[in-house]
Amino acid sequence: MNTWLPKVSTTYPRLSMDFLGEAPVVYHCHHFNLYLDQTIDDALGPDEGLALRTRAARGAAYQLLSSVYARLGALSTSEKLEIAHELFQAMGQGRLELLGDKHGGIAHGEYLHYGFVWREKYGTTVRRTHPADAVAAGYAAGALAAIYDLPANAFDVTETRCYAQRAERCRFTLEPAESPGPLLGVAGRGPIIETTSTGLPGGRREERILTIEAGLREHLAGVRPDERGLVQAFGVFVTRHMANYYNRLAFDALSHVKARAPRVQPMLEGLLRESGHVCVFHTFGGILNSPEWEGLVGRPSSDTCDVIDGSVAIARALGFGRWTIEECDPGKRFSMRAPATYESAYYRALSQPSTHPVSYFMQGAAMAIMQLANAVDWSGEVRLDHDFYLSLFKKGVPWKVEQTRCTAMGDPFDEVVVTAL
Amino acid sequence: MAEAGLQAAIGDIPAVRGVFITAMPDCLLYDMWMRPNEAWGAEDTATYFGDLIRANRSALKSLGSWSSEMQVTIESSDLLIILKEINEHFVVGVLFGVQTPLGMVRLNVKKLVQRIAPILPSLNVEDRPRVVRALEFLERYAPDPHAVMMRVSLQTGIPQDQIQNAEALSAEDAEAIEEAVKNILGLDHLSI
Repeated sequence: MNTWLPKVSTTYPRLSMDFLGEAPVVYHCHHFNLYLDQTIDDALGPDEGLALRTRAARGAAYQLLSSVYARLGALSTSEKLEIAHELFQAMGQGRLELLGDKHGGIAHGEYLHYGFVWREKYGTTVRRTHPADAVAAGYAAGALAAIYDLPANAFDVTETRCYAQRAERCRFTLEPAESPGPLLGVAGRGPIIETTSTGLPGGRREERILTIEAGLREHLAGVRPDERGLVQAFGVFVTRHMANYYNRLAFDALSHVKARAPRVQPMLEGLLRESGHVCVFHTFGGILNSPEWEGLVGRPSSDTCDVIDGSVAIARALGFGRWTIEECDPGKRFSMRAPATYESAYYRALSQPSTHPVSYFMQGAAMAIMQLANAVDWSGEVRLDHDFYLSLFKKGVPWKVEQTRCTAMGDPFDEVVVTAL
Repeated sequence: MAEAGLQAAIGDIPAVRGVFITAMPDCLLYDMWMRPNEAWGAEDTATYFGDLIRANRSALKSLGSWSSEMQVTIESSDLLIILKEINEHFVVGVLFGVQTPLGMVRLNVKKLVQRIAPILPSLNVEDRPRVVRALEFLERYAPDPHAVMMRVSLQTGIPQDQIQNAEALSAEDAEAIEEAVKNILGLDHLSI
């Protein structure tokens, strides 16, 4: 394990939020990562989508690395470069080799999370026309700027070869930015903590959930990337990712659609929700169905509340916020609250109040938790594969979800409610 | 075609495990027969067979090698499948066990087509709008079909309720939708 990593890691147990340096981080699986990127490209078009994703990753990586460097004190340029390489790999993003100086450079990538998992999931059915690794590209540009104490937008970066487009490995070029463009907002640890209430009373079955969360966090602390720099666990590829990347994408895509095609804003919101739904179904389902879970908690029972308790604990352990169970009427109604989600906290920390609820991940997650609790027979062999996932929609989804409170709108907490149709 | 008609056409032909007749150009199941112990999804299978014939036709035309006599042979781990155009409106897919000798299969398919062709109706095919067929093609091949219409809507800016009534779309919107379909599937053109 990197000896410096614990020194830059902070967890706020009362909020179930995690930070590396000043950057909020969450665990997310490849289903979520691919789906969110795809949704951004659907909303903005492939060229603008790629540009936004790259800029968002650059800004988030710059915040991450510059704050990590500041936390660790005096570092040489070569030490900063090594930390940038190690941190990328520690986050399960693959292997990135950055070769450059204050004038620019190149980077090579192998087993980069996005390109690799895209090819794994879609490579046999869809031909990719645009490079997939905006996160690695933006990380390389943000890292080079942070290493040389330059502004976050000092470098433009282009992925010139991409594994998802059948290249052997990925390649990036970094050049001084011709027109640097605006710095995209990133939310830092201080403003997030200051604007998030810790006064939310506990929900149902808190003692049990806290126990499971603690056990899971202990387990996750021992998870390491493999030799590829990837984390493959519970049937998914997992990243420990920069929440500012996700939040910036959703924020800008919503702004774009509101301005240019407001009639289809519900589609964007539906797809953002689906990102959460597909993620939670596969990742939470994979964890609930794993031998590790059986050892830690026991096999999920046919009691729906059992699966819901476990899911809420998983969400907390992955850094999604201190979700609590407000109501649980099996098969009929389920509601959760949180003092903030990583999405709503972004709006508050940047003083960008919203006129509509923004915790799309939590909305999709709540639906998926209802699916896991009610549509899966945990008493027998459980196969949570893609075919099973699609079959849930063929039968028709018998629930609807609504976010009834949102801290980004000034409410004291976030709340989502799932009800039977 | 009445089931008895198709069953009678199969008659004494040995080793046949199933027959699917697909109406073109919409790739819809027209008729089928399968052994009682088979449990194939008839409508999906017939549709994919239609798509395969169309793709094969395009490929052969691009090679300058197409003729109406062409047929597609597929060997899987347990099936030997022959796809053949009966006429411009119908495609037949005949499924045999993989152990069946290929020569016998070809002979029996020829015999079967000769029997089926006269009892198929002559259709006045009313082509549905290309945009409708494009959307159906997308639903068949999109990796995440459950949400793909939302993606089309978001890409084109056309609300989903209008996409559901695609026949009524303007030419400009129909073109935008076909572009979205190609984009989602990563295709340069659609063989529909």
